Amino acid sequence: MSAQRVVLTGIGVLTSIGNGVDEFTTALREGRCGAGPITLFDPTDFRQQIACEVTDFEPERWVRHTPLEELGRASQFSIAAARMAMADAGLEPAQLRDRPGLVTVGTTDGEARELDQLVESEIADGPERLDPTAVRRLPAHRLALSVVRELGLARAVPSVLGTACAAGNYAIGDGLDAVSSGEVDYALVGGSDALARRTFAGFSRLGLVASDRCRPFDAEREGLLTAEGAGVLLLETLDSALARGATIHAELLGYGLNCDAHHPTAPDQESVTRCMALALADAGVKPADVDLVSAHGTGTRTNDITESRAIRALFEDGPPPTVALKSMLGHSMGAASALGAAASAIALSRGFIPPTVNHRTTDPECGIDCVPNEAVEAPLRVVMNNGLAFGGNNASVVLGRYEEASR
Amino acid sequence: MPVTIDDATEAKVREILVESLELEDEELTRTGRFIEDYDADSLGAIEVLSALEKTFGVTIEQDELSNMVNLEAVLEVLSRAEAR
Amino acid sequence: MSTAPAAQRARGPVITAWSAVSPYGIGRAAFTGGVRAGERTDAPVDPETWRSPDERACLVPDFDVRAVLGKSGTRGMDRVTGLAITTVRELFAEAEAARCPVPAGEGTALVLGTTLGSAQSQHDFVRASYEGEKPYDVPTRQMPYTLMNCPAAATAIRFDLKGPNSTVAGGRMSGILALGYARRLLATGRTERALVGAVEEYSRSRAWIDRHSRRTAEGQPDPRLGEGCAVLLLEPATGEPDADVPDASADPARTPLAELLAIDIRADVRGDPTSTLRESVSQALGDAEVSPEQVWAATSGELPGPLGADERRLLAELFGEPATARGRGHELLGDTAAVSGVFQLTTLLARAAEDTEAADRFAVLTSVDEDGMIASAVLRLLAQDGGS
Repeated sequence: MSAQRVVLTGIGVLTSIGNGVDEFTTALREGRCGAGPITLFDPTDFRQQIACEVTDFEPERWVRHTPLEELGRASQFSIAAARMAMADAGLEPAQLRDRPGLVTVGTTDGEARELDQLVESEIADGPERLDPTAVRRLPAHRLALSVVRELGLARAVPSVLGTACAAGNYAIGDGLDAVSSGEVDYALVGGSDALARRTFAGFSRLGLVASDRCRPFDAEREGLLTAEGAGVLLLETLDSALARGATIHAELLGYGLNCDAHHPTAPDQESVTRCMALALADAGVKPADVDLVSAHGTGTRTNDITESRAIRALFEDGPPPTVALKSMLGHSMGAASALGAAASAIALSRGFIPPTVNHRTTDPECGIDCVPNEAVEAPLRVVMNNGLAFGGNNASVVLGRYEEASR
Repeated sequence: MPVTIDDATEAKVREILVESLELEDEELTRTGRFIEDYDADSLGAIEVLSALEKTFGVTIEQDELSNMVNLEAVLEVLSRAEAR
Repeated sequence: MSTAPAAQRARGPVITAWSAVSPYGIGRAAFTGGVRAGERTDAPVDPETWRSPDERACLVPDFDVRAVLGKSGTRGMDRVTGLAITTVRELFAEAEAARCPVPAGEGTALVLGTTLGSAQSQHDFVRASYEGEKPYDVPTRQMPYTLMNCPAAATAIRFDLKGPNSTVAGGRMSGILALGYARRLLATGRTERALVGAVEEYSRSRAWIDRHSRRTAEGQPDPRLGEGCAVLLLEPATGEPDADVPDASADPARTPLAELLAIDIRADVRGDPTSTLRESVSQALGDAEVSPEQVWAATSGELPGPLGADERRLLAELFGEPATARGRGHELLGDTAAVSGVFQLTTLLARAAEDTEAADRFAVLTSVDEDGMIASAVLRLLAQDGGS
């Protein structure tokens, strides 16, 4: 095989704890929590009213060539995160314009927020009077297409993966394969979702939403907090990065995908273990080499027990520290695992473990070290980042620290 | 106002359970256990909770799900549920 | 059975089976029969059932999920999920009947294209949130159906498909995008075989969305919306004995029907979609090392409106009228949106099976949409058994 090593040289993030790689890094170190009162839709009469929203987002800063009214919030997010990733990688769109590329954005709900608003206006005025400009914002494939068109990437494949809450990792894996095989020269991959009433109502009805804070692996955890955000990573071959003297955040070592084929909403422990094992095998890494797991860690009773058992089953000699970024970020749906991968890369390059915040007492049934509340300095070499979705769509990505001397 | 548990209430609850758990009416007994005997899953349980809330205008805390193991238990939970 | 000489052995992944649920009916035979007869499929939309603004549409006849799939595990199942499950059921049953069953389990991936999943399920769910006594009075059982990955995930549950399970949200480009994605999964050995397809349902919600977003010119007749699902079995080419992963090659009992040679997907970034399409087709032909005169059939996405007409004209200019005539037919199924690309391909496969001229010649598929997405694919058609 002529597979090439693939590295991550650009990170773009929009999150409830900070936008852009520098602010995000600081927030991860400080253990910030992005939870706050919902402002993006009217939460009146919901039993819980807290979520993690992206604040101080100014779309006009990032969207320069596309009329804003043509873009839903999730597409605006993906454009902003892609621009940030490219700037972080030290690249101008013009440098990539005529090179084969892949822009894959994972999402759970696409522009669900737009549909929420359309349905509201339909209730008021009937289906005959919907605003055509708003209706045209709906198709999910616009999350990637908007990036390609805004940046003028003439040879890029725009692709959207709708594999629910693991979609970010699916996108990263696809980018890894496309770059590694030489099919494309670069990939902008990740995930994007905007806060939507529909999703909130659904999770609320399922009894999965926490009343105040998300406390993964905690004995008293109540559930998740829905969130929004976007994470986009720029991937290129190691040779390409070295040739242009780029800063390398991390190397993408491999990934695994599988499907529980078991239940629409309940995860399957053995299948999750198998997914992680597939990822490690693909990365050529033994369980003992993994220094940190960035868990899916939603903070629901079911996820945290199933996932921690799956992790313990994989790491027979005891699991490495296992953190849940959703304690800080909330559950940003399709963006979640992309943000997890971004945080993993930052942890590798800066040498610290971001904490699981809001933590009081670890649930003995979870039985992992979740690095409570305070970041820990640690030289990390290999991090595994999990994304698990309703429908049993699992994806794990393995990242490694890039060292110049390493072969 | 708490829900009065009478024959009419029980009939309505039966209707909800038969629908949500995909049972035939004669299958459902007062003590038949949803998970063990009727193969109910987590979505089915929440569907029951949700239908009870809507039908009787009450609020049932999520924690009660674990108590709602059979028809008798559901009626008991319903009897102490508060108006929404 | 194919006995192609070594020089002609397939290099790209090959399509070895397919099935469809379409306005022609359920299963491959119904689809093939409909294509060969060239039947129109539009019919009046029952106003009671659909409350739709459309007078006519191309629906899968008598498709009631619970009647087709039985009552077990189908309560509340939406149409798009039912269409996907039924299509995969047909593909498995047809392979079984042909005595080369398709294995399920860990070695089988499912890659399914969609536009939004079910716009209707999503619409109904959030509408219940607005209209219920409480905003969380939403239909619990429907929650999974509001997610775009539900058709693929539910199909996996039904048939125990434990390989990668991926939903490609590509709108009209879904078919070619899904093929491109599945090709990467196979090339990297992440799966032994992939079921690759796309699905689109008819619904009132989709009808309104389409009506408001449509850009057909004034005075043009409204396009008829169509629906359905088509799924292909994509396997690595039967490799040389010394190939890297000999176990992961197509089951020799299955006859390859077509070889996937090249795919080009891009966006129009300069406001000239037809020129972008021309470049895309040229790139795909170049990658496939195929010249225009070798192309037996060329099929366009039949997007309603002027842009679709430009696409048809371009293909006629590049490949000639006989080739584009062979590529037509799927438009009789209506505007099938996400599933249009796979229907283009299954229409071609149905036609190639009855025409010995097609063997070892090439087919070009293209698609464009109003948002500026452009896609082309080049396939080699292989000799099929039992074509007539």
